[in-house]
Amino acid sequence: MSIKKDFEIQTVPSMIESLFDDIEHGILSPLLHLKEFDSHWMLEFDLPLVNKKDIKITFDGNVLNIEAKLQKKYSEEKHGKTMTFQYFKKSISIPGEIDNEKITAKFQKGRLVIKILKKIIGKSIKIS
Amino acid sequence: MGIYVFLLTVNHLKSRDVKRAKSDIQENTLLLGFPSNGLVGIFSISYLIHHLNMKQIGEIKVDNLPPTLFVEDGEILAPIRVYSKKDIFVIISDIPFNQNLAEEFALEVYKFCKKNTIKKILIISGMETANQQEKSPKIYGLITHSILDNLLYSNEIPKFLNGSIFGTDASIISIFRKTKIPTLMLYAECHPFFPDPEASIGAIATLAKILKVSVNTTDIQNKIDKLRIQYRSLMEDTIRAAQQKEKPVKAPQIYR
Repeated sequence: MSIKKDFEIQTVPSMIESLFDDIEHGILSPLLHLKEFDSHWMLEFDLPLVNKKDIKITFDGNVLNIEAKLQKKYSEEKHGKTMTFQYFKKSISIPGEIDNEKITAKFQKGRLVIKILKKIIGKSIKIS
Repeated sequence: MGIYVFLLTVNHLKSRDVKRAKSDIQENTLLLGFPSNGLVGIFSISYLIHHLNMKQIGEIKVDNLPPTLFVEDGEILAPIRVYSKKDIFVIISDIPFNQNLAEEFALEVYKFCKKNTIKKILIISGMETANQQEKSPKIYGLITHSILDNLLYSNEIPKFLNGSIFGTDASIISIFRKTKIPTLMLYAECHPFFPDPEASIGAIATLAKILKVSVNTTDIQNKIDKLRIQYRSLMEDTIRAAQQKEKPVKAPQIYR
């Protein structure tokens, strides 16, 4: 009788580890996607294994910081070692003038969507 | 990212070590998966390989890919592998293709198809959805030859009617639509920039229906969150490869 192993995707690992997980402090770097619209920025973070109540979002100048605690520890084997993570953390600088008072956030299906309004600067020019 | 396409051109690929598998059934079918939107193809195809207990029968070499091998439990794995079980063949690539490689990869797959008398190809990929909060992502089908119309109809797969396709998907479809091997692209609605194993569940169910096999998706459902974390780097590599542009070829001095 053969024992069927649990489903594990058998893939060659990424050649470039660009996410900069902080192994020492058990911090994962989340994937994010920033999209620019005429009037606002839309910033999306992928935060699986996270509850809404465990997400902290702060805005300092133009830098947005997020910290999210995982519901349970996440472990993975890398280079023969087991590494355990407990948090997602990321800081990102938003370009241009931002209206700090008009930032909204929504969390659904483990994805955090933050809408940041741009500050409209300048005066209108009349067309003669 | 749309359905995504980075119009790629590919040069030389070499297939090797692909054994010609014997089949007792007439209709050899090839499933093809590679990193693209939401990694839907990778999740779906890997899951089928595991659940159908398919055996690796060979690998495909692409000359311009950096030499890469992976060792798991003492077994050496190449990034582009070929699996089979009865009349079902699978080619899976763990490496995303840039503009120089996608077409080349498709040509190599085509060579494999001719050698193994493949009668139809099923490609699984992801498409960006307008409403990412919908409960169950939909699956759409795009066919290269009208002979597959009936396959869509009998499996109740809505036809992909309008939209744009760029990049890897476009390169691969462009190759197969010129051949005599009909190809069905199964597009699962997904998040294009994040690994989306949830979107692949519908694709797995649709594939199972087409192939007339039974596949329980409980395993992948239980691992959705873990896979989303585990596959962040491959998702990043995929987006990076998609954005890579071919270096402009400098014209010789005489033509300047």
